[in-house]
Amino acid sequence: MNRFEPRIIAFLCNWCSYVAADAAGVARLTQLPNVRVIRVNCSGMVDPSYVMKAFADGADGVLIGGCHPGDCHYISGNIKTLRRSFLLKSLLRELGVEDGRFRLEWIAASEGPRYAKVVNEMVEEIRSLGPYVPPQRRSAKGAA
Amino acid sequence: MAKKKLAVFTATGCSACENSVLDVHFQISPVTPWADIAFWPYVTGSQWQDLDHVDRIDLCMFAGAVRTAADRKAALKLREKTRIMLAVGACSAFGGMPGLVNLAAVRDEGNSAGADEGIDPALPGTESRVSALSQIVDVDYVVPGCPPPKNLLWSAIQALLCPGECTSRISYAASRLPERISQCITSGILPPKGGTFAGEKAVCASCSRVKEEKKFRSAFRPYAIDPDPGRCLLEQGVLCQGIATREGCGGLCTAAGAPCRGCFGKAEAVYDPGAKMVSAVTSTFDSANADEIEAMSNEFVDLAGTLYRYTMAAQCALPVGPAKDENDAGDVL
Amino acid sequence: MMQATFFEPLRWREHPARVAVYNGGEELKVYYQVTAPRDLGAICKGRPVEELPRILTLLGPAHHIASAVTLDRLFNVEPPPPAVNMRQALLQTLVFSHHLRKLFFFLTSLEDPLADRHSAVRTLGPPRFLRHVFDEVMQCLSLAQEAAVILGGRAEHPLTAAAGGVSRYVKPQSYNRLAEIGDTCVIFAVKFAEFCGGTLLNASEAGEALNEVSPGPMSSMSMSDDADAAIVVSDRTGKEIDRFTPADVFDKVELFHEPWSYEPFACLKGKGRNVLAAADGDGLYFVGPLARLNRGLEPSTPKAEEERGRFIESLGPPPHFSLAAAYRALLVELIQSAEQMTVLYDQEKLTGPAVRTIPQAIGQQAGAAIESPQGLIVHRYRVDERGMVQELDILDTAAQNNALHCRIARRAVELSKYGNRTREETKKNIEASLLPF
Ligand code: SF4
Ligand code: SF4
Ligand code: SF4
Ligand code: FES
Repeated sequence: MNRFEPRIIAFLCNWCSYVAADAAGVARLTQLPNVRVIRVNCSGMVDPSYVMKAFADGADGVLIGGCHPGDCHYISGNIKTLRRSFLLKSLLRELGVEDGRFRLEWIAASEGPRYAKVVNEMVEEIRSLGPYVPPQRRSAKGAA
Repeated sequence: MAKKKLAVFTATGCSACENSVLDVHFQISPVTPWADIAFWPYVTGSQWQDLDHVDRIDLCMFAGAVRTAADRKAALKLREKTRIMLAVGACSAFGGMPGLVNLAAVRDEGNSAGADEGIDPALPGTESRVSALSQIVDVDYVVPGCPPPKNLLWSAIQALLCPGECTSRISYAASRLPERISQCITSGILPPKGGTFAGEKAVCASCSRVKEEKKFRSAFRPYAIDPDPGRCLLEQGVLCQGIATREGCGGLCTAAGAPCRGCFGKAEAVYDPGAKMVSAVTSTFDSANADEIEAMSNEFVDLAGTLYRYTMAAQCALPVGPAKDENDAGDVL
Repeated sequence: MMQATFFEPLRWREHPARVAVYNGGEELKVYYQVTAPRDLGAICKGRPVEELPRILTLLGPAHHIASAVTLDRLFNVEPPPPAVNMRQALLQTLVFSHHLRKLFFFLTSLEDPLADRHSAVRTLGPPRFLRHVFDEVMQCLSLAQEAAVILGGRAEHPLTAAAGGVSRYVKPQSYNRLAEIGDTCVIFAVKFAEFCGGTLLNASEAGEALNEVSPGPMSSMSMSDDADAAIVVSDRTGKEIDRFTPADVFDKVELFHEPWSYEPFACLKGKGRNVLAAADGDGLYFVGPLARLNRGLEPSTPKAEEERGRFIESLGPPPHFSLAAAYRALLVELIQSAEQMTVLYDQEKLTGPAVRTIPQAIGQQAGAAIESPQGLIVHRYRVDERGMVQELDILDTAAQNNALHCRIARRAVELSKYGNRTREETKKNIEASLLPF
């Protein structure tokens, strides 16, 4: 039986979330294998266009992981990300990308288990949403 | 030397693009010795049959988006005859405002065809979605704007239609054109294919308003504020799309007190105009508190219809709208 | 099956349209088909309402102003006097450019305007004197556009009219230029009217031919020029038969669809689709310069009044319904608009403490009407509590007067049939007949 396996792109901050992901892997915490990790120096680097591009190139979901507010290695990169996230989410929603497909999470280096939990939740949520296809490319019958 | 042949046509848009071409054509008469109008239904009353008597069109200025089967057929037919296809105006270049139709949730199949068989004439069908010219046929050059400013239209005509000896060639400054294009105009060779007759950077680069790196705590819809005439609109909390938009108009709207809505399409370095604006707008939020940020974000309405006002059909990375269906290539009566 | 002939694309039409002629049996059937949807609902619904003045320029520059006036009502604000004057100055400039362009189009098809075989601009080039006139027309047009840019920010798709006023003052440096342009336009308009009216429309054979073509007597619709800004319907004799507020226009005008056109057909309420077949034009109405002139209102400016005198001298007192009258009405209004431009292009009138009143609250629904160059236009919007457009009705009585267009096209085809014109001549008949209405 072919189960839909969502493809999720995770932009993870080198100083915290990436470490957490690594730790989760080393600790062999159960985490679903649907995530492609892209390590970034700071979550503040993840321009909204990266997120759009990920969706345009076939991702079913995008996760941005950054340091908790106050802990950003570059002082306020994560606040920049926070500022962008709401507007980006609204824009994505208007373009037909459901809310569950895009998430911003603060995950400290020590929070390996939380990372695994976030990922697993997201995979399940997106699995229930189904694959993301830009509306334009949906078949005429399936189009809204 | 044989005269060049010019065609001008508008698919679905308005008459402003053609009126602009008309104005340029008549105001600057040095072109006439070099070019003949071979096909221009709006002004000279050409019919489609007239095209059959022309071997080749040298320059076709195509305005308007592709909305109906008749538009598509026109685009294909003109492309077949044409050496240089120039998309004129936002509709033709990026789908323009008619492209917003793709955003509308309900697909309006309305009254396409279905006339009383054999008695009443049929109608050309509507396509399921609005397309830019480049989504239908190969486009060689673009002159953006809604409608394009005269100097840019004129520089396109000069570069693409007039040979080197035309007296008008160097008489018209095109200072905001990318260097390569202006060099081509002055030296009389064709600019590199795919070029845009407009600037490369963003509208902000030529906007007369001053940026002070100021932030705002609450956003304003344009009706709710009489902005300070000298200062950047975005920094006053008004959504202005200059930073995501290709320059070339010289900041026309911002000078007139109205925010830029992006009729020149995205600037060269921008991946997606909406994403660029999300980052530009939020960087001017004066808050680090999640609730406040959320509240400020919610003050911006109709993001898709605003940020892609002129570009929904062709420049949105996640294009919305119904899928293409097979009838789109349907024939016209 | 009957043989169909299509005339497509049509010259000078602002929206894609064609004429289909079925000529077989005893019946001649002529259809004026709008061949692409306007899609206004899809484009405008869901947009913030304050964006409409810019979006609706798609329909023509005057819709920019109509939309701003509707927003004033919706937001319940009074624009300050300089803003009202600036909008009015822009509107008059648009009238001037529009009429001049139409007359220019008309001239380019001269020799026999109803059936010239060589359009003047196309092949041979016009006779010398005409070429000279063309140059002057184009120069004057570009001046008028310069004025429109000064006032509206852009000539074809203006920007400055906004809810509660306009978005900026005229720059002090521009007043002298505006005054110059206004004066030049008046001088030109008078000279041009003399040329067109005297030489072309009056004396020539072409003028006689134009006198014979007419969609027939019918009602007309225009705006009253008094304070209550009502819409007035006059019957075929020019007598006022109805008067109502702009918002009520949608109850007075009926729109019906036919499967063979994308756009509805308009007629006076209760007349229905019979108007398409009716022999006498009952239920149809026309708008624009000739409708305004037929109401017998005197132009407020002296030179336009003189021109109207010449109109009456050569054609008799209004109402008139011929093509010649329609073109001459354009001349009267051309002069009138130029004269009003000079009045309104005045620093005193365009300056004041403010050019915008900032709205405090959003209403739910509003409508307004203005006289555009082509004729009456009415806008009506309904918005939600955030001011997002939910419904909009726009009646462009000229561009959407498709039932009248059908009738005019049929007249032109009939005329060609009797005259045994070629296909190309028939097409030109159709186009020249549609142009001034
Ligand atoms: S680009 Fe603008 S001016 Fe040109 S046809 Fe489209 S709407 Fe009209
Ligand atoms: S954001 Fe708008 S107002 Fe500000 S500088 Fe850029 S174009 Fe000008
Ligand atoms: S400011 Fe923006 S919307 Fe206005 S003309 Fe320039 S590019 Fe177009
Ligand atoms: S360094 Fe981790 S979010 Fe900035």
